[in-house]
Amino acid sequence: MLGVVGWVGWRAGGALNYAWDFGPVWGFVARHDPQRGWVANLLLQGLLTTLRVSFWAGMIAACVGVLMGIARASRPLFPRLVAGFYVETIRNIPPLVFVFVFYFFVSSQVLPALGIEDWIRRQPPGTLWWMEVLFGPPAQAAGVFAAILCLGLFEGAYVTEIVRGGIQSLPAGQWEAAGALGLSRRRTLRLVILPQAVARTVPPLTGQAVSLVKDSSIISLVSIQDLAFMGNEVAATTNRVFETWLVVALFYFILCVTLSALAARAERRFAIRLRKPRPSLTTTPPGFTWSPTTTAAAISARCMTG
Amino acid sequence: MNETDMRRRLIAPAAGGLAALGAFVFGSRPAAAQGADARAALAAASMIEEVKRRGTLRVGLSTFVPWAFRNRAGELIGFEVDVANRLAQDMSVRAEFIPTAWDGIVPALLAGRFDAIIGGMSITAARNLSANFTSSYSANGVDMAANKRLADGMVTLEAYNRPNVTIAGRRGTSAIVAAQRLMPRATFRQFDDDAQAILEVVGGRAHAMVGSMPRPLFAVLDNAEVLFSPFPQPLMRQADAMAVRKGDPDALNFLDNWVLSRQLDGWLPERHAYWFGAREWRDQVPG
Repeated sequence: MLGVVGWVGWRAGGALNYAWDFGPVWGFVARHDPQRGWVANLLLQGLLTTLRVSFWAGMIAACVGVLMGIARASRPLFPRLVAGFYVETIRNIPPLVFVFVFYFFVSSQVLPALGIEDWIRRQPPGTLWWMEVLFGPPAQAAGVFAAILCLGLFEGAYVTEIVRGGIQSLPAGQWEAAGALGLSRRRTLRLVILPQAVARTVPPLTGQAVSLVKDSSIISLVSIQDLAFMGNEVAATTNRVFETWLVVALFYFILCVTLSALAARAERRFAIRLRKPRPSLTTTPPGFTWSPTTTAAAISARCMTG
Repeated sequence: MNETDMRRRLIAPAAGGLAALGAFVFGSRPAAAQGADARAALAAASMIEEVKRRGTLRVGLSTFVPWAFRNRAGELIGFEVDVANRLAQDMSVRAEFIPTAWDGIVPALLAGRFDAIIGGMSITAARNLSANFTSSYSANGVDMAANKRLADGMVTLEAYNRPNVTIAGRRGTSAIVAAQRLMPRATFRQFDDDAQAILEVVGGRAHAMVGSMPRPLFAVLDNAEVLFSPFPQPLMRQADAMAVRKGDPDALNFLDNWVLSRQLDGWLPERHAYWFGAREWRDQVPG
C-alpha cells in the first residue's frame, strides 16, 4: 500500500513539474508569537470551527432524526406524511443546492426577524466568552447558527431513515406480544421497541456522524470559516495550492479516523450488551431493571409481578 | 351658465373626493408632515445610522492579492483592508471583516450579512442591477499571464481567440467576463481563486490566465522562467468601487464624499501605490 502511494506521489511530483514547499502552509497551522508562545493560526482555527459546527449539527440531527423517525414508523397518517415529506424533500435535493437555498433564506429572513445579531451584541463579556467557546467568534455567530441549522436539518433526514429502519426491523410479534399484555402503543415504544432499536442503530448512526463531519465542508460555500474555507484562504494567499489541500485532507482524515475509532468502541459496547443472556420468565429477579435488550416477555414478567 | 362656472362645479366635488381619499389612505395629516416622516424613516433606516448605532462597520471581502489577503499571523492585510479600516476610523467605529466566497458575495450583501463590499469590486452593469456602487476609488484593468512554452509568440488577441486555446481565470470575476467577451472562441476554465488559475498555467494545462491587474504581472515576476506577459497594455480598463444595498441614498452620499476627500488629500493614491507598486509588503507574507 505504502509503495503504491509513494509511487503515485513520485509520479505526480515528476509530471506536475512542481517544486514542493510545505513551509508557508505549516506556518498557517500554528505560529510562534513572541508574547503568547505557540498560537493556532488559520487552519487550526478552521478545524475548531468544523468541530463546533459538526457537534451542534449532530445534536440537531439526532433530535430531529429521532422524532421524525418515530413519526415515520407511527400508525397515524399525519405524522407519517409530515416526516415522509421532510425526508423525501431533503434526500432528493443535492446538499450544495439545499445549503445555498436554505442558508440564504435563513440568514436573510429568519435570523433578522429573530434579532439574533443584535441580541449577541448586547451580551455581557462573560456570556460572549462562553459563546466564543461554544460557537466561535461572536461577530460571526449568526452565520454559524444558520449553517448549523442547515447542516443539522440536512443530516437529520438520514438519521430519520436510520431510526425508522431500526424500529421497523423489529418483528411485528414484539408489538403484538406487548399489546396482548395490555401495554399501550406509547409504552410499548418506550419500554420494548426503542431500547432494542437504539442498539441496532448504533453502527449506522456512527457512520452517519463521520459523514456529517465530511459533509460539513459544504458550508464553506456560504463562507463559514471552517477548515475547507480556511484552506481556500491559505491557498489563495500562499499560492501553495497542492500543499494546502494535502494538509487540509490530512486534518479531515485524522478527525474522521479518530471518530471512526470511537464509533467502533461504542459499537463493541452495544454488541456486548446484546450478547448478555436474556432474562426469562422464571429467573426474573424481583429488583428488575431494564436494559437495551429487555424484551416484551421480560416486561410482561415485571407487569405481572408488580 | 358659462364654461368657467361649469368647470368649477365639476372640479369642486372632484377635489373634495380626492382630499377624502388622501385622508383615507395617508391618515388625516397634512402632506408636508407626511413627507418629513418618510424622510426621517428613510434616514433612520440608512446603513450609516445602523453602523453608528452598532459601533462596527461590517465589511464583506474575498481573498485577492494584493486587495485583501493574509499575513503570517493570519490577519487580513491589503489595500481594501486599509481602505475599510480608514473609513471605519473616520466614522468613529470599528471595522469588522467578513471573508466571503467571491461568487456569492453579492447575494450575501443583499441578505444583510454585511454593510458594504469593500473588496476591489469592479463596476459592471450586471452587478449594478442588483447593488449600488459608490464613486470609484481605484482604476484597474484586466491583464493576462501566458505560458512561455504553450503560448510561444502569441501576442495578439486573435492568437488566443481559438477553440484549442485554454484560458484559466477566477469564477465570478469581471476579468473572466471581459476575457470571454474579447476572446469568445477560446476555451475557458474557471477556478475558485487566482492561485489555482496561475497553477494551471505554470503546470502547462492552460495557455494563459486572466485576472485583475496586478495579479497576472505578479505571477509572471514570481515564475519568470515559465510565464510571460503577452500584452503591453491591459486588455480592458475597469473601475473599482464599494458596493452597498439599493435604496439607501444617505450611505451613497456619505461614501461618495469620503472617497472624494480621501482622493484629494492624497491618502488613497498613497495607499494604492504602496499595495500595487513595488511589493514592499512582501516580507509580511509567507512563501
